[in-house]
Amino acid sequence: MAAALATVAKAKDGSHVSLDGVRDKNVGQLRKLNAAMFPVKYQEKYYSDAMAAGEYTKLAFYSDVHVGAVACRLEREAGSGGGSKVYIMTLGVLAPYRRLGIGSLLLQHVLGQCEAEGSGVREVYLHVQTNNEEAIAFYKHFGFAITDTIKNYYRRIQPPDCYVLSRSFGPTSSFQPNGTAAAAGQ
Amino acid sequence: MGTKLPPKEANQFKLIVKSYETKQYKKGLKAADAILKKFPDHGETLAMKGLIMNCMEKKTQAYELVRKGLKFDLSSHVCWHVYGLLYRSDREYRDAIKCYLNALRIDPQNQQILKDLSLLQVQMRDTAGFVESRRQLLTFKPNHRANWLAFAVANHINGRLDVAAKILSAYEGTQEDESVPDGEKYEHSEMLLYKVSLLAEAGKHKEALDELSKKQARIVDKLGVREQRAELLHLVGSNEEARSEYEALLAINPDNYKYYEGLQACMGLKPASDGTYTPEQLQRLSDLFQGLQEKYPKSAAAKRIPLDFLQGEEFEAALKPHVRRFIRKGIPSLFSDLDPLYDQPGKADIMDRVFTEMLDSIRSSGKLPPLSDTSAEEDKENPSVLLWLLYLMAQHLDRRGKVEEALEIVNEAITHTPTLMDAYLVKARILERAGDFTAAARLADEARSLDLADRYLNSEAVNHMLKADQVDLAEKTAALFTKHGDQHENLFDMQCMWYELASGDSYMRQKNYGRALKNYLALHKHYNDMVEDQFDFHTYCLRKMTLRAYVATLRWEDHLHAFPFFCQGAVGAINCYVALHDRPVVKAEAKEEEKGRMSVAEKKRLQKEQRRKKEEEEAAAAAAAAAAAAAAAKAAKKGGSAKPVDTDPDGVKLTEVEDKLSEASKHLSLLLEHAGSELSSLQVAFEVFSRKKKLLLCLQVVRRLLKEHPEAPLTHSCLVRFFLTVRDLPPAESESDKIVRAVIDAERADLGLSDDLAASLQQRNEAFLEAHKDSLPHRAAAAAAMAMLDTGLKARAIAVIHESEEPLAKSGGALAEGVGEWSLDECAAVLRLLQEGPLADEAGAQRWKDRCAQRFPYSQHFKGSKSSVKAPPPVKDEGEEEGDEGSAAGSAARANGVVE
Repeated sequence: MAAALATVAKAKDGSHVSLDGVRDKNVGQLRKLNAAMFPVKYQEKYYSDAMAAGEYTKLAFYSDVHVGAVACRLEREAGSGGGSKVYIMTLGVLAPYRRLGIGSLLLQHVLGQCEAEGSGVREVYLHVQTNNEEAIAFYKHFGFAITDTIKNYYRRIQPPDCYVLSRSFGPTSSFQPNGTAAAAGQ
Repeated sequence: MGTKLPPKEANQFKLIVKSYETKQYKKGLKAADAILKKFPDHGETLAMKGLIMNCMEKKTQAYELVRKGLKFDLSSHVCWHVYGLLYRSDREYRDAIKCYLNALRIDPQNQQILKDLSLLQVQMRDTAGFVESRRQLLTFKPNHRANWLAFAVANHINGRLDVAAKILSAYEGTQEDESVPDGEKYEHSEMLLYKVSLLAEAGKHKEALDELSKKQARIVDKLGVREQRAELLHLVGSNEEARSEYEALLAINPDNYKYYEGLQACMGLKPASDGTYTPEQLQRLSDLFQGLQEKYPKSAAAKRIPLDFLQGEEFEAALKPHVRRFIRKGIPSLFSDLDPLYDQPGKADIMDRVFTEMLDSIRSSGKLPPLSDTSAEEDKENPSVLLWLLYLMAQHLDRRGKVEEALEIVNEAITHTPTLMDAYLVKARILERAGDFTAAARLADEARSLDLADRYLNSEAVNHMLKADQVDLAEKTAALFTKHGDQHENLFDMQCMWYELASGDSYMRQKNYGRALKNYLALHKHYNDMVEDQFDFHTYCLRKMTLRAYVATLRWEDHLHAFPFFCQGAVGAINCYVALHDRPVVKAEAKEEEKGRMSVAEKKRLQKEQRRKKEEEEAAAAAAAAAAAAAAAKAAKKGGSAKPVDTDPDGVKLTEVEDKLSEASKHLSLLLEHAGSELSSLQVAFEVFSRKKKLLLCLQVVRRLLKEHPEAPLTHSCLVRFFLTVRDLPPAESESDKIVRAVIDAERADLGLSDDLAASLQQRNEAFLEAHKDSLPHRAAAAAAMAMLDTGLKARAIAVIHESEEPLAKSGGALAEGVGEWSLDECAAVLRLLQEGPLADEAGAQRWKDRCAQRFPYSQHFKGSKSSVKAPPPVKDEGEEEGDEGSAAGSAARANGVVE
């Protein structure tokens, strides 16, 4: 029942990991995954943004089982500069499949897309709850830095504040990551 | 030839024929009318005009004209030929054959007619006639290869295999040149292989083998030659050679089960008729497969086959590595692969032990247990190993009848990895078997929502919806995978029979007989089409020389009506007709009477209302027709052919046929001819014949039941019902009645029933009850018979049912030890018995229902405490999100009720 899969890589334990895009036909899988991983209920807008982001939104299949996903939103910047930003809405892997490098593969895929020639991406950023140290370390490992703190960003969870983590892309920026995976919600 | 036409008209006649052949029908008609103006009685012209009319879809005029033409010119082969063509176009092949034979009597040299005739003969399996026609065609043109082959095939299907083989040899004798032209190599090779298969079928294995060796160089189907040779070598007893041939074939394809079977056969390792092996055989088999597994490490067959014959510890030792290979790879079909093993005594218990051990070990240490005491400890497994083990375990527990445990495990799998569709399907299947169809449908739809592009998930969901009688929802869901969403048309065109059968069954349960019939008759139509479709192969296969496949196809067609889908459809249709026959008809008189009692004002109001209702209905019908016509026009514009509009979408007209039982008989005759020993066939046969009061036919059914299913509850009930009817017959009056009675009397004595039918039937019934007192269906049949024989015994009969005790499974079987053996269907049948018929009793039915609700807590039918019906469908926040997965079915699916 697994779809034709695009990208292929290996997890830390040597298992086969492949990535597949999200379409209106299989978006149900992303919904299922989010319902299992995040306490937040995502609106329709989230899913249409995720699908519109094309290569920046991926489902991860571990030995042909769907276990994780990264969902991004593309933000075109106003003005004549023409650059764009990628906002990582969610990145997560189901609990039994963590620590296998699947989250890293998903993030690397997004970063790779940003770095690709002609992508026009200037910056990739995301929000992390201030107490989620594991996630912060994970992103820092991939060259992200805390650039801002937003008070009372979350409504129903404690603490309600979040950091903005971001990474810019210049013509010379390149980073070889080797990180660990963790679930990190918006 | 009939009346001679003058030259001018004769030319015009030729023009008609030419216009017909080139499909210029209007031109042909014009020419025909011109001749008929002068010679209104010219038979052949009349016939030709009729033929053209037939092509213009004017059937009645066509038949009139042709018959008139024939009347004027009985001695014209043209008229007879045309008449035959007319019948053929209406698929009235028997009548067509008669016409062709008449035409040939007049013009015996006409090869075209002879050819047409031969096609009809083989289609109708008039094999003797077919042989004769092909013989004549061969004598006309002996230099045509096709004529020789067709003559051989004709003899073959007429059962004269020796003659067929001789014909082929004779034909080869006429070929002086040994070389075959390049373009005909395949045809020639097929002919040679056909001859070998003919000889083999005739039991001349040695000759077949010689022929094969002699012609081998010119046979292009190299694999076919080797397979044929291996089989023949075994048949002539050269087992050593056969063995090395099979070993060579296995080297080509080590996953072909036929090769393994062949290899076993020539090594004397075939099981006895009851499927068992001697200890000596087992040892050799075990060694053989050990060697094969080493030789073909990638062959799945070499690993799976030993699980069938190994027993006890050896089975366990082979099972362990087999299961872990599948589990580690995450292959969802593992359970289906193992499923047949549950029916072998003792294996289910071993599997239970092995699976539990694996699951416990993974849970406690993340590792699988070592394969044996001496083998090294295993490495830590991937997280998906636990998932697939849970997935296997859930199906295993369900198969063993442990519903609660199975649900617990499958829920654990879903929590572990909520994105795995297969787990939802397994949960749906567990609940369906436990009787909660609504929850099953909801789960299958949930699985479907995870991948809307997956046809398998769609079909599974549709199937579950139909089981839950959500026909409209099922229709919409199935339509997502049809062309242009033109649901029914498209599913019908694709001969989607599982859908039609499930849909018919659902309508039947809802007592919507019109729609049920529509579905069942669609199945009937598909099978008719398949029979019809073979017509094209008679010419095609002979031309293309695919003779082996052709003969196989003819034989397959002969058994078409024994296929399960056909039988189930026919049984469904017959049950519909029987139910319609039994349904009390609202008499028009009664209505009139009621009217008479009404006041004038009331009458007027009623009339007005009726008129308004009628107008509304007509308007609605007109609107629907217009819409349908518009759609058809649109489709036609798009380039698709316009479909005739279905004027009876609800099958109302089907339910209004005058003689329902004779409609049923049409289906019954095919059913009895092809699947006459099936219980379901005999059951409907008895229902139809008893309603038609056909005593001898009923008796025949009873006798057949006694022969094929002597111990079945149905046999007992039919026997009792039949002789009860006989007991209550008025004295025979007519001569024929007396003969019938004499036959029945003889039969009665033969069955050991005395003159005093009531007493001896009761005796028989008591004996039956005593002999089968531990089986619920048998007790129920005996109870029903008891009440039928003597209404005074009804209370005792009901007690017989209530006193039934459910046997518990013993260890060693497919069911786990201690699990109750009653099935939902059996218990539901008993409930029906207590609801209608001689045992109908409200309190008794309720008591049984309550008992079953306890026994089957998930059953909707018995309103079990855990079934969807009992609890109000909770509004889950899961569904609160707007948007519905882009499907037509999304919102409705939520009304399906609880899952857990």
